[in-house]
Amino acid sequence: MTKALTYESVNVGDAMPTFTSDPITRTHLVRYAGASGDFNPLHHDETFVKMFGMPRVISHGMFVMGIVGQAVTDWIDDKNLRKFGVRFSGMTEPMDLDDPNSRDRATIVVTGNVVEKFEADGEKRMRCEIQAADKLGGVKLTGSFIAALP
Amino acid sequence: MADKTKVGKVFPPYIFEVEKGKIAEFAMAVSQKESKSQVKPIYVDAGAAKTAGYKDIVPPSTFQTCFLLWGGGGLMPMLQEVGINLIRLLHGEEEYEYLLPVHPGDVMTGVIKVVEMFDKEKKGKPGKFMEFTVLEAEIRNQRGELAMRARTTLVER
Repeated sequence: MTKALTYESVNVGDAMPTFTSDPITRTHLVRYAGASGDFNPLHHDETFVKMFGMPRVISHGMFVMGIVGQAVTDWIDDKNLRKFGVRFSGMTEPMDLDDPNSRDRATIVVTGNVVEKFEADGEKRMRCEIQAADKLGGVKLTGSFIAALP
Repeated sequence: MADKTKVGKVFPPYIFEVEKGKIAEFAMAVSQKESKSQVKPIYVDAGAAKTAGYKDIVPPSTFQTCFLLWGGGGLMPMLQEVGINLIRLLHGEEEYEYLLPVHPGDVMTGVIKVVEMFDKEKKGKPGKFMEFTVLEAEIRNQRGELAMRARTTLVER
């Protein structure tokens, strides 16, 4: 965290600090599968996805949402998060370790902007719109979050 | 094809005990780290969490995905009951509302309800429809307090 974020200091239109993930690998997908309990073979078994004509496994959407959640709570305190929602719009393929050119499609860049400041339930809050895209510009999800601010 | 008569259906509750090992494992997964020492301290270290103003360790913001997948029988039996075709299934939207903090030792009970089912015509494909099923979960702690709401939109393309 850079400096303390307050209701007074934040303005509509302010950008959230851009967050860039590590390139997603199959090992990350396996780790997420075990942690979350989502063992859909779509996310780790290439022999399964090939039956459906897909060239490789794809990431869990919820893993990408988890990365976005990390970007959000790197900026605001976890305890101040009130609401967090996303709409999934694109699949994410992991990088192939034998193809360095595949790094960019597997690297998630999270950006966001403050769109509203308001008071609710006796708290000062802001609403931010957020987006996750890969480094080639392919959008993975869009959404928003609401956070309380001191 | 989803069975639209299932709107209003409430599934049996699932129970999930929050453990610090699971929180650490999940935090490592979403932050793409290899060890506990590399993740945000409030997810793994009670002392650091207290210094930062928390009662104890807290989970990352999307941790509740574990409640259903590890605590319940997973999503699969529900999808089958509602008649959703897995081959056509996409996760459309996910939304969380955070009402109370969650800490290790809490025992969470989730109840999922089918709140909406509707069709939307595909863009540029008249007469072809995508089917939407919206599930809402209320997650309570061992004191019966509502800690979290989750809303999941599933799409059959």
